[in-house]
Amino acid sequence: SKIVAGRKLVGSIVRTSHDLSPSPVTDPSLAMAESSGKTLMDLISADPTPVPAQSTSSSSSSSTPSPAAASAASSMHQPMSTKTTLGEKKSKRATLMQIQSDTISVAKAALNPVKANIMPQRQRQRKKPVSYTQLARSIHELAATLDQKSSQKQLVNHVFPKLAVYNSVDPSLAPSLLMLNQQCEDRNVLRYVYYYLARILSDTGLSPGGGIPTPNWDALADIDAGGGVTRADVVPRIVNQLTSEASNSEVEFHARRLQALKALTYSPSENSELLSKLYEIVFGLLDKFKDYFPVPCRSTDYISCRFQVADVPHKRKKGVFGTKGGDKESIIRSNLQYAAMSALRRLPLDPGNPVFLHRAAQGVSFADPVAVRHSLEILAELAARDPYTVAMTLEKLASPAGALQDILHLHDVLARVALARLCHGISRARALDERPDIRAQFNSILYQLLLDPSERVCYEAILCILGKYDNTERHGMDERASGWYRLTREILKLPEATSKDKSNKAKRPQPLIKLVMRRLESSFRSFSRPVLHAAARVVQEMGKSRAAAFAMGLEDIDESVHVNAFSDALDDAETNDSSHPEGIRRTSSISAGPGRNETIASLLASLMEVVRTTVACECVYVRGMVVKALIWMQSPHESLDELKSIIASELSDPAWPASLVNDVLLTLHARFKATPDMAVILLEIARIFATKVPGKIDADVLQLLWKTCLVGAGPDGKHTALEAVTIVLDLPPPQPGSMSGLTSIDRVSASDPKSALALQKLVQAAVWFLGENANYAASEYAWESATPPGTALMMLDADKMVAAASSRNPTLAGALTRLQRCAFSGSWEVRIVAIQALTTIAIRSGEPFRLQIYEFLNTLAEGGVQSQLSEMHLSNGEDQGVSGTGLGVLITPMLKVLDEMYQGQDELIKEIRNHDNANKEWKDEELKKLYETHERLLDFVSLFCYIPRAKYLPLGPISAKLIDTYRTKHNITASSGSTDPTVVATGISDLIYESTQPAPAASNSSGLDDDLVNAWAANLGDDGLLGNNAPAMSRVNDFIAGGGTDAPDVDEENVFSRPSVGYDDMWAKTLLETNDQEEDDVRSGSSSPDSTGSVESSISSHFGGMNYPSLFSSKPSSSSQTTGKSGGSKYQSTYEGYSSPIREEPPPPYSYSEPQSRESFENPMAAGSGSRSYESDDEEPRKSTGTRFGTALYDFTAGGDDELNLTAEEELEIEYEVDGWFYVKKKRPGRDGKMAGLVPVLYVNQS
Amino acid sequence: MPKEHREEYEGIAEEESMILAVLFANSVGNVLIERFNGVPAEERLTWRSFLVKLGAENLKGVKNEELLVACHKSVYIVYTMLGDVSIFLVGKDEYDELALAEAIFIITGAVKDICGKPPTERVFLDKYGRICLCLDEIVWNGLLENTDKDRIKRLIRLKPPSEF
Repeated sequence: SKIVAGRKLVGSIVRTSHDLSPSPVTDPSLAMAESSGKTLMDLISADPTPVPAQSTSSSSSSSTPSPAAASAASSMHQPMSTKTTLGEKKSKRATLMQIQSDTISVAKAALNPVKANIMPQRQRQRKKPVSYTQLARSIHELAATLDQKSSQKQLVNHVFPKLAVYNSVDPSLAPSLLMLNQQCEDRNVLRYVYYYLARILSDTGLSPGGGIPTPNWDALADIDAGGGVTRADVVPRIVNQLTSEASNSEVEFHARRLQALKALTYSPSENSELLSKLYEIVFGLLDKFKDYFPVPCRSTDYISCRFQVADVPHKRKKGVFGTKGGDKESIIRSNLQYAAMSALRRLPLDPGNPVFLHRAAQGVSFADPVAVRHSLEILAELAARDPYTVAMTLEKLASPAGALQDILHLHDVLARVALARLCHGISRARALDERPDIRAQFNSILYQLLLDPSERVCYEAILCILGKYDNTERHGMDERASGWYRLTREILKLPEATSKDKSNKAKRPQPLIKLVMRRLESSFRSFSRPVLHAAARVVQEMGKSRAAAFAMGLEDIDESVHVNAFSDALDDAETNDSSHPEGIRRTSSISAGPGRNETIASLLASLMEVVRTTVACECVYVRGMVVKALIWMQSPHESLDELKSIIASELSDPAWPASLVNDVLLTLHARFKATPDMAVILLEIARIFATKVPGKIDADVLQLLWKTCLVGAGPDGKHTALEAVTIVLDLPPPQPGSMSGLTSIDRVSASDPKSALALQKLVQAAVWFLGENANYAASEYAWESATPPGTALMMLDADKMVAAASSRNPTLAGALTRLQRCAFSGSWEVRIVAIQALTTIAIRSGEPFRLQIYEFLNTLAEGGVQSQLSEMHLSNGEDQGVSGTGLGVLITPMLKVLDEMYQGQDELIKEIRNHDNANKEWKDEELKKLYETHERLLDFVSLFCYIPRAKYLPLGPISAKLIDTYRTKHNITASSGSTDPTVVATGISDLIYESTQPAPAASNSSGLDDDLVNAWAANLGDDGLLGNNAPAMSRVNDFIAGGGTDAPDVDEENVFSRPSVGYDDMWAKTLLETNDQEEDDVRSGSSSPDSTGSVESSISSHFGGMNYPSLFSSKPSSSSQTTGKSGGSKYQSTYEGYSSPIREEPPPPYSYSEPQSRESFENPMAAGSGSRSYESDDEEPRKSTGTRFGTALYDFTAGGDDELNLTAEEELEIEYEVDGWFYVKKKRPGRDGKMAGLVPVLYVNQS
Repeated sequence: MPKEHREEYEGIAEEESMILAVLFANSVGNVLIERFNGVPAEERLTWRSFLVKLGAENLKGVKNEELLVACHKSVYIVYTMLGDVSIFLVGKDEYDELALAEAIFIITGAVKDICGKPPTERVFLDKYGRICLCLDEIVWNGLLENTDKDRIKRLIRLKPPSEF
C-alpha cells in the first residue's frame, strides 16, 4: 500500500495547472497531501521507488488507488513531514541510492535506442508520477520528435519544470539538449535549454543548484562500463556550440546570443582556454560599439582612451527611463552591451590590464542600467587595487557635467552603491595626493549620495565616509578616525550643475553630520526591520569611528562645537571666494549664529535617544544590533546605568539566541580593543552576561574578556577589574523558579537546570581565573616579596595574619577571602577548583599569604573549618574531618607540597644557624644536598602551577645566596627558557620579572608605566601563544576581523572556528609600537610572541578542553612537554592517591652550559633534551655601568676555582654583579696569587 | 580544521560579497528551492536547518511580504512569507540587509507575477519551472542581476531585455 500511496501522492503533486478535471477520487488524497506538508521534492526523495515501476507499466496507469489507501499513506507520512529537513537528511542516503539506480537505467536507456520506451502521449496527459529516469528519457524522446508541436508543449509544461527540482543534470542529456538548441524554434523551450546547459557547465560536484541531490554523474558513467557520458565528453561540445552562438551577429539571433553568453559564464573559471575565449567574445562585443563613439580610440594607450570614453554623448536617457521605441539599432546595441558587461562582471578581474579597465570604464556611459551597475562594480574593485589609473581613466566622467553625475539619478540602487564605493576608493587614495582636484570631484559625488532616496545607498555613503572599508590594521584606525572627523566637520554643497533644476532648499550647504543624523533618525522611525537593523549597524560603525578618533587623540574632536558654524563660515567664504571647483571645504572657525545652537553632542544625544527606543522592536536581531550600537557609542565618561539596565532587561528575554548573546560579548571585546580605558566599564557589562544568561554565553570568550580587561585595566584598574570578576563568586546560588528579579542585575537568572549547570561552570571558570591571575592583579610574587623571611613565622596567630595580609595587599587578600569561601560553600566541582586556585596562590605568593592559605588548608583538612569560619571562631571543638568538604584527597598533596617547603625552610634556617654559630663554611656536599632539595621542591611545585624556575626559591629568600654559590661553583645556569624562538615560550612572569628588575630607569624616563608595558607584553605573548589553538581566541579574532560566514550553529554544535588575521598584530602594533624600547627589553631572553608550537598547558584540559587564559600560562614546546611529563611521572608514584586530576605542568627546560655536569644531577629533563641545546640569556652576567669600589667586610674562603679568597678590610674593584655575586679585582694579588674572581655581595661593603 | 583547509576556506571567504543563499520553503519547513553560492557543501545543511528553524520561530502570523531580518556574524539574513511559501535570502558585505530586502522584493514580485497572487504551495509547485527561470535571471552567480519586472518577464521568454 505504501508503494501505491507514494505513487498517488506524487501524482497529485505533479499535476499541472492544465489538469483542470481532477477525478473526485483523487481530491481527498490531494488535500491530505497538502495538509501534511508534502512537497514535490520530499515526496520524490522520500519514496521514489514506485515511480519507475509505474512509468514502465503503462497499462496499469488507469488503476486509481482508493481514498482509504491514500489517506493511510498520508498519515503514514505525517511523522516524517513534521521533522522538517532534519528528517530529510536521513532519507537522503536512500534517495541517493535510488537515484543512482535510476541513473544507471537512464544511462542504459540513453545508450540503447529509445524506441521501445517511447511513451504514448495520452499517457503523459494522465499526469502520471514522474521520476528522474522518466524525465531524462522524455527529453531524449521529445528531442527526437521535435517537429510535433505537442512535443514542445510537453517539454515546456512538464519535463523541464520537473527536471529543475534536481540538484544537477545528467551530462548524458547534453546531446539531446544541444539538438534541441539547434533545431527548436520555440523560445520557451530554448530558454530552458540554456538554463540546463548552464547547469551542466557549472556542475563541479559542488553545484549551487540545491534541490534533490543527484549522484556524481561522472562516477556513475565510469561504473557503467558500457561507456556512459561524462562531463568531460560533453562540456567541449556545449562550449563550442555556445561560443559560436555568442559570436553570431545576426540581429534576429541577438536574444539567444545573450543567453548563450550567460550560460558560458557559469563554467568554472579554471578552464583557461574557455576564459580567454570568453574575454575575446566580450571584448569583441564591447569593441564593436566603440564605433559609435565620436572620438575613436586612437591607440591602446588607455589615457587617450579616456577622452573617448568621456565624450560619449548622453544616449542613456532613453534606456534609463525605459521609454520604448528607440531606434532598433541602438536598442540592440544596448542589449549586447548589457550582455557583454554582465559577462565581464562574472569573469575574473584582470587588474593591471589597461584593456580590461578601458572596457569596464566604457560601461559607465551605457544606456542599460544593469550594464552601468556592473561597470561601476568592476571599476570599484579595480579602484581598490589601483586607484590612480582608474581615477585617470574616469577623470572627465566625474566632472560636474560628467556621466558619473548622471548615475546619481540612475534607477538602479546597486549601481549607486557601487558608485559610492568607487568614489570612496578614489577620494581616499593616497596615490592621488598630487591631484586634489580629482579627489575632490569624487568626494563631492560621494557626499551627494548622502541625499540618495534609497537607504541602502545613503548608508553605504555614510559607511564610506566613516572609513569602514579600510581594514588594514593601523591604517584602518587612521581612516576611521579621520572618517569621524570628516563626518563631523565637513559640509555638503551641491555643485551648480545638479542643483539648478532642484528646489532651492537643497542649495544651502549642509553639515554632513546633520544630514546623517536626520536621515538616521527618520530611519529609526521606519517599520521595516531591515531598515532598522541597517540603521543600527550604521550607528555602530559611527561608534567605531568615533572610538578610533578618540583613541587616536585627534585634536579638534570637541563635540560641543556648533555644527552650523561650519556652513556659516562657508557661506561667508562663498561670497568672496568661488574659485574652488570642489564643493567641500573645511573650516574651523566657530561663529554660531543665533538660534542654531545644535552641537555634535546634542545631535548625537538625540540620535541615541531614538536608538534606545528602538530596543522596543520585536525583532531580537534588531535589538541585538541596537545593543551593539549602544556599546560602541558609549563613551568612557558617560553614565553607564542606562546601558546596563537596557542590557540586563534585554538579556532576560528568553528569545535571545545564544549566538547573538555571544556576538554582543564579542562586541564588548572589540570595544575594549578600541578603548582599553573602558576595561572596568566593560567588565561590569560582561558581569551582566555572566549573571543573566550563564547558559547562553561562551565561558571561554568571557574568560578571555576578563583577562584582556584585567591586563588592559592598568595598574590602578587591576584591583577593580579583579573585583568585577570576583563578583561572579559573590552571587547567591541560583534559586530555581525565582523570576522576581528579572531586571536586577545582581540576581542570577538560572531557573532551569541547564543554565544552573552553566552558571556553575562559569563560577568554576571564575575561580580558576582568580587563582591563576590574582597574583598578577595584586602584583604579589613570592620571588619578589618584600617581606623578610622570618616575619611570617612570627605571625602564627591567624587574626594577625589576616590583618597583616589585607593591610599589605587588599587585592590579594580580597581574592583569598572569596576563594576561601568558595572552598567550602560552593558545589563540589567549585570547591575543587577553589582549592587548586588557593594552592596556586600559596605557591606564588610570599608571606604572609602563603602561611594564611597553609593554615586554611590545614584546618580544612583537619575539619572544623566550616564552623570556625561561619561562627567566628566559636568552634565547638568537634572534629568534622574533611568529610564535610569531600576534598581530603585533594588537599593532602597540596598540603604536602607546602609542608615540604616549610620543612625545607626550617631545616635551612637551622643549618644556617649551625654554620653561623660554628662559623664554618658550607661544604660542597652540604650545598649539593641543599641544591638537590631546592630542585626537588621546584619540580614538585611545578606540578601544581607554573612558576619561574630561575627565580623561584622554594626554600625561601634566604636560600638564594647558597643556591647561587653552588650554581656558580658548578657552572650551572639557572635558566627559565631557551632562546630558540621556535621552541619554547616562557612564562609571562619571567617577562615581568626581567623588565622590572634590570631597567627601572629606562621605563621611568619614558613616563610609561612599565607594569602596564609588562602587562601588554604578557597579553601579547599569551595571545601569540594561545594563537590558533584557542577556539575562544579565534572566535574573537574572527569577530573583530569581520569574518565569519560560516554556517550558524543550529543546535549548539561546535562552531568551526575560522582563522583570521590581523587582530593580534593590530593589537600588538597599536599598543606597543610606541614603546619599542621597553618591548625589546621585555622580550629579550624570551621567545617572541609569534613563536608557535604552542601546546595548551595541561591544566586547561581539566576543564573539558576549555582554554582558560592565564597571565601565567606557560606554553612549553611539545618536546619539553613530553620531557616534562616524564619528569612528572617521577612523582606520580610518590603521590599516588590523587583522585583529582594532577596538574602536569611541565617544568620549563633547564639548561646547562657544561654538559659534563649533568650526570651529577638527577634531572628529569636530561633524558629528553639531548638533541637540543639550551641556551640562556636569562642569567647572562648583568654588567653594571661603571666601575665601583668597595672593601671586604669579612674573610671569605673561595669555594671554587672562579671564586676569590678575601681578607677583611681588603680594597676591591667591583667589575660587575651576577646573582648575588660580585666579580671583583684586588689591588694586589692575594696569598694564593689570584687577582680576580667572584665573591658574595654581602661580603663586600660598596663605597 | 587543518591549516591547509583553512586557507582554502579563507580564499573562498574573500570573494563572498554575494547572495550566499536563496531558499524557498513551505509552511512546515520543507525546502522547495535552494540556490547556494560560495557556501561550502558541508555547511549547506547547517544553513538550511538554521533558516528553516528561523522561519518556524518567527514567521507565524507574519503578513505577506513583511520583511524579517537576522544576522549571524557578518552574514545577513532577510526573509519573508508569501502565501504558503517562505523565502529566505542570505548575503554578505555588499549584500547587506537592505540589498537583500531589495532582492527579496524583486523575487516576491516575480513569484507573484507568475502565480498571479501570493501562491499556495500547490500553485507554487505548478509554476516551479518558471520560478526557477526567474530566479536564474534575478540572481546570477550570486550577484543580483535583473531588477526590472518587465525585463525579467522578457528574458525568461528568451526575448531581449529591451525590445524595439
